[in-house]
Amino acid sequence: MKLVNKHIDKHGTGHVTIRPEDDEDMWHLYNLIQEGDSVRAPAIRRVQKVSSTGSVDSQRVKLNLTLKVTRVEFSSSTAASTTSPEDSSDPSSSATQQIPTAALHISGPVVVENQHVRLGAFHTLDIEVQRDVRIEKFEGWDSIAISRVEESIIPGKGAEVAALVCGEGTVAFCLLSQHMTVVTHRLAFSIPRKSGSSSGATQHEKGLTKFYGALFDAFIRHVPYANVGLKAIVIASPGWVRDAVYDYMVGEASRRGIRDKVVKVHISSPHVHSLVEVLKSPEIVAQLKETKFAREGIVLDKFFKMLGTDEMRAWYGPDHVVLAADRGAIGTLLISDELFRASNPVIRKKYVGLVEAVQQKGGEVVIFSSMHESGQQLNQLTGLAAILTFPLDIEIVEAEEKEEAERIRLATEAELDVG
Amino acid sequence: MVARHKLFKSMKLDAQLDDDDVLSDGGEEYTSPEHQALLNDGLDRIRELIGSADVSGLSDDQISDVLWNCHFDIEETTQWALEEQEKIHQAQERKAAREREKAQKLLVQKQLAEAKSASSSRAASPMGNLARGGKKGTPAKKVTPSVNLDQRQLDLSGLNLTNNEPTRVEEAPKVNFAQDKLLEEVRKSMESQGEKGKQRLSLVVIGHVDAGKSTLMGRLLYELGRMDERTRTANERNSVKAGKSSFSWAWGLDGTAEERERGITMDVALQSFSTTQRQITVLDAPGHKEFIPNMISGASQADCALLVVDASTGEFEAGFDRGGQTREHLILARSLGVAQVIVAINKLDQVQWEKDRYDDICALLRPFLIQSGFHPSKTKFLPVGAMLGVNLATCEGDDAKQLLQWYKGPTLVDLLDKLEPPSRDIAAPVRIPISNIFKGQGSGTSVAGRLLSGVVQVGERLRILPGDETAVVKSIEVEEENVPWAMAGSNLTLALVSVDSIQLTIGSVLCPPADPVPLASNFTARIIIFDVQVPIISGAMVELFHHSRDVPATISKLIATLDRTSGKVVKSNPRVVAKASSAEVQITLRSVGSSVRPIPLEPYAVNKAMGRILIRREGETIAAGVVMEILG
Repeated sequence: MKLVNKHIDKHGTGHVTIRPEDDEDMWHLYNLIQEGDSVRAPAIRRVQKVSSTGSVDSQRVKLNLTLKVTRVEFSSSTAASTTSPEDSSDPSSSATQQIPTAALHISGPVVVENQHVRLGAFHTLDIEVQRDVRIEKFEGWDSIAISRVEESIIPGKGAEVAALVCGEGTVAFCLLSQHMTVVTHRLAFSIPRKSGSSSGATQHEKGLTKFYGALFDAFIRHVPYANVGLKAIVIASPGWVRDAVYDYMVGEASRRGIRDKVVKVHISSPHVHSLVEVLKSPEIVAQLKETKFAREGIVLDKFFKMLGTDEMRAWYGPDHVVLAADRGAIGTLLISDELFRASNPVIRKKYVGLVEAVQQKGGEVVIFSSMHESGQQLNQLTGLAAILTFPLDIEIVEAEEKEEAERIRLATEAELDVG
Repeated sequence: MVARHKLFKSMKLDAQLDDDDVLSDGGEEYTSPEHQALLNDGLDRIRELIGSADVSGLSDDQISDVLWNCHFDIEETTQWALEEQEKIHQAQERKAAREREKAQKLLVQKQLAEAKSASSSRAASPMGNLARGGKKGTPAKKVTPSVNLDQRQLDLSGLNLTNNEPTRVEEAPKVNFAQDKLLEEVRKSMESQGEKGKQRLSLVVIGHVDAGKSTLMGRLLYELGRMDERTRTANERNSVKAGKSSFSWAWGLDGTAEERERGITMDVALQSFSTTQRQITVLDAPGHKEFIPNMISGASQADCALLVVDASTGEFEAGFDRGGQTREHLILARSLGVAQVIVAINKLDQVQWEKDRYDDICALLRPFLIQSGFHPSKTKFLPVGAMLGVNLATCEGDDAKQLLQWYKGPTLVDLLDKLEPPSRDIAAPVRIPISNIFKGQGSGTSVAGRLLSGVVQVGERLRILPGDETAVVKSIEVEEENVPWAMAGSNLTLALVSVDSIQLTIGSVLCPPADPVPLASNFTARIIIFDVQVPIISGAMVELFHHSRDVPATISKLIATLDRTSGKVVKSNPRVVAKASSAEVQITLRSVGSSVRPIPLEPYAVNKAMGRILIRREGETIAAGVVMEILG
């Protein structure tokens, strides 16, 4: 994403103009734009004019519209990238230029009048790449929103890691970028299992060969392996499927580039959620130490480990985490970006306040992207978790809170009595 | 004469089917009075035997025609009439079977069903009854010619010229028995089987990797004559060539190139053999940690288990320590409903057949078996030397001398003979979780799996869940033998027709269309947590194992922790469930791609085998349990 213009005063009011460039930028915009914000972006609108004689004339007008957002919709893959025949003949060109597949739709009434569109008319903006978008925050720009903009304009393009999560007969092609994991393609083959007789064994092997062939074809089509930005191609599987897949690919591929990038990682199950294990594996950690998604994986793993060793230092759930923050106990805060997308500004403010409070006390805050597997796992745990610096017993804390509430109640009652 | 002409037209086609040429005599012009009298007389007498036109399905004209051709020989004509009736019967049954098929798909074949005349249909399906009911109202006169027409239609539709699914070539086999009759038949054969003494059961071979499971099975199959000499020598030669001579026995079961190359079992191998008392299906499970999903698939198809333990120094300990497969396999097998176990202490030859070593291992295993829920009376121990074939079928020869000094107990085959098959639920609806799909001989698809409950027969239509498809059973194979029906507890291979193989996936369940398995994506379960390092919290990502299927799931809610023995609620809505405790939880399947695909499940109370689940996380079995209630 490119920052075109930024004008934010010290109270947080102002606007930002940015130019999205790829799928991930759409995801950033989705997280940035909230209900109530006003967004200005180019649009094509069909305008109807009724002439004096009563004939209706309709035409498409390209214009800039400013909406007051009522709804934001994001879909990670609208149309599975349809490859034209020319592309398939020259795979490298299609591989280097990934067609953006994510789509962002913003709907709301028009708030700035225009010679074609009257005030209050509804419109749905279809945000496109390379078209400037101006955002003005309804509640002002808070620290989270500003940091999001800053994060999004760091150059570093597209998918950084491609991962093939394989099982015997199944494979999911995933592209991982800083903030997104996109499953671009899935294959599921029914492979006859071995049977006692020798004919069963050959059916099994035939099935496998067919599967590897289909896998390689899909790999060429769905993985931008020639992209220089792609740091690694991970082949992950339980058992030895990854070795077989690797051998097949090396045998088929003419390009040497593939072999150098491939990392084989062991995972325990052939499901996409095993990507978390991939990101924890030493091979990947070494290579992608600085990337955000690797960091997320490590932190989440740390949380689960803490839960196993010292339950009192691993808390989750909004109520409990807020209590822990009040006591200044949070060492690492794990928070999902989903919480900041809350349409209710009060709720968003609460979480922004929580993050700021933790940061002030020197705690670390990791905002998980819910487009990553680790973020989805965090979402399952209410989206909020914390690793504490010292153990706190939840029951004692809750009792304290109750006592405190009681004390305040009594105090106010006493005050009222005095009054 | 008009009637004769009609007949003439319709018979012209039938003439090729019936061997006797009806029209060659050319007697259609003139019938003399005395012939007419003979004809009427013969007709009356035949009618007495076979009944009136609508009962027998044969018209007067037809009978008199044949009578004429047979020169008024009543005997011969009666013979013909009975044969003809039989043909009509069969035709109707076939038609009824096809009718059902069509009705399920289209539900608009009422007219045909009405027009179809039938004397009596033995097919006791609901549609068969419907057809019978419909025919009562139709006048006999109209029915008669249509019998012939139907016959023709049938033959034509047999060629699939009229069928709306032109790809289907196989004819659906007919159902032989009505459901209740079949059950009777099964009970009868069970009783007679009891007398004969060869009861069927299935046995899963479990144990730590390299304990010698496949070697033991390979050797045992050889000793019992199930592996021929040629295969053995071929395996021996090839394994020596590959530098893996110690795997020569295991190669009898490890068939694929990769398994042989790596020298480990990767997937379950299915074999069968018989002892004097039992007909045993063996599932040789992989011992490697990576292939536990396959082992679960195998163990869920078994009644009993054979645990193979490596007695050599250090190896037993490795298998039995935390993370060893001896431990995990036992727990898994028990959780999947296996109650009897034989423990074979293998490789004792490597420790000079020391009695102390054998006793030590038994002493270590016994408390663990009890703790895992195996009743002491249902666990048996014995020492074996799989490679040398000591104490498998027999315990004699030079190799066994050292063992015989202190061991006087039974051999493995003796113990296998005494295994008790569990009670089979044959009255329950059919449930077959598919564990393997492959191309059978000829056209059609073959599936393998275990019949958990009920009785399945050739010609039966089964629903494939999940999905909206059905398939017809063309043949049933149990232990390499074609059978007309199979009952609960059999490990069978079904050849299915009238189904596209794309509709079948490993893990799907076959069941009767009238009694489908409920599909669940959200359910509650009672689980026992194993020795886990990270406790279970709500929202934990897990993999749910059910028979041969594993799906990603979430423990969406912790409902209560329970007392392990009494099952009473200790704490409701707990924050975490720690290890070695029991809990009631809600499990939700996770979406694969864009949608959640529900899986067929049944509460444990309804069908035990369909209600058992296992929960794993990051390659470790964390809990086992039973389904309580399906929420959606």
